[in-house]
Amino acid sequence: MSHHFIEFDNVYFSYPGGHEALRGVSFRITHGEKVALLGLNGSGKSTILLHTNGLLLPTRGTVNVGGIPVTRRTAPEVRRSVGMVFQNPDDQLFMPTVEEDVAFGPLNMGLEIEEVRRRVADALQRVGAEDLKQRAPFQLSGGQKKAVALATVLSMEPDIMVMDEPTAELDLRARRRVADIISRFNHSCLIATHDMDLARELCPRAILVADGYVTADGPTPEIIKLFTSVI
Amino acid sequence: MSLRAMHSGTGHSPISALALLIVTLLYLGLMLSVAPEALARLLWFALYPIVMAPVAGEDYGHIFCRSLVVLPFVLLIGIFNPIYQTEPAFTVSGVIVSRGWVTFVSIVVRTLLSVQALLILVDSVGFVGLCQSLHRIGVPSVLTTQLMMVYRYMTVLLQESLDMTRARQARGYRGGSMSLSMWGSYCGQLFLRTVARSERVHRAMLARGFDGVIPVLKENKTWSGRDTAAVIVIASIFILFRWGPLPALFALG
Repeated sequence: MSHHFIEFDNVYFSYPGGHEALRGVSFRITHGEKVALLGLNGSGKSTILLHTNGLLLPTRGTVNVGGIPVTRRTAPEVRRSVGMVFQNPDDQLFMPTVEEDVAFGPLNMGLEIEEVRRRVADALQRVGAEDLKQRAPFQLSGGQKKAVALATVLSMEPDIMVMDEPTAELDLRARRRVADIISRFNHSCLIATHDMDLARELCPRAILVADGYVTADGPTPEIIKLFTSVI
Repeated sequence: MSLRAMHSGTGHSPISALALLIVTLLYLGLMLSVAPEALARLLWFALYPIVMAPVAGEDYGHIFCRSLVVLPFVLLIGIFNPIYQTEPAFTVSGVIVSRGWVTFVSIVVRTLLSVQALLILVDSVGFVGLCQSLHRIGVPSVLTTQLMMVYRYMTVLLQESLDMTRARQARGYRGGSMSLSMWGSYCGQLFLRTVARSERVHRAMLARGFDGVIPVLKENKTWSGRDTAAVIVIASIFILFRWGPLPALFALG
């Protein structure tokens, strides 16, 4: 993949029950950009994120990641480059130990065991969770789970990171740590968040989503001002 | 046994997971092929779990107690034998013991021994090791992956159940057990929540490249000469138990 960009072109999506979650969503995120995705609950933020790695596919329109149109066939390749951090870390941690969970992605990439171990150690070190290696994920605190969930994606060394509410339910210290990790991530980042401070701090640009539409796209302070004025 | 230990095993097995699986399959095959009335021969097979449990780092008493969990079910199945098979089998101190009672005891013993052998296997090598070994002996990966997924989602079900129970207790001022109608709603909600949670977990797995086979970080010990020797020796002992000229462990007549 030569360019770490994400492009949505007139994307429509309806869930099986008939609810139209996305209506003509179009935007482009270029290499190295950090963009906040803002909106009320149910506005379509998570649905947009799930389209970036092919977990959901548009009913109309196209999603393009790094020059590759996201289809059922290309989704496995796209997922090697797009790391997704889910809102609920319990959904993301499914192996018996932290080490195995963080190794899950690199193992699926077909990497050698030594390289997998190196990436696991590096990812855990970056999130400050080295001492949790042999712990069972379900025994961890909320903040620890969030850190480990982040590590499971960092170990894949993705080119693009998409995050759904990365600081939800975190205390100040854990929130600070997550913010530091995101700030040091040098590639493209799309973050769905209700944390306006995080959006202002890390994302120069924000996209406002409402009822499945992109209603505004621009500098984060302006978008936040617009958002807070209409709610 | 902790969840993690159940997944990874105690690691105390002196032979590889594959060798222990083969030994266990041989044990089950030969033990279950003993004629129902041949109780004296069947009881020789009880030596395997008694000897193997401490070798694999387990306490036999603990294994025995855990195997008793199947007792209600096997009693329910076997209890009809004494009712329908009334022909006399042997006499003990003048008391006639019918064939039905002999086959009933045989069913109970076989079931307990089978469960004990399987507990030793799973405790020693762990569930993941067991699935890996099954794959190595030719069980299709789609089946072994399904087994691992069932195992994984059992914990999801337990977690959801715990969450719902806590919520109910927090709002259950009257205390006591649930009414029948509430049980129906409880089970239905549990099912729906577990399915929804499982779908989210599956999405997270797909997002990290899951392609239908769960990758394993730690491979089982590879087959060695010790495994070959162990399988041959243990298999020979099982064959002796099954067909060899062994003295009866107790006198019947």
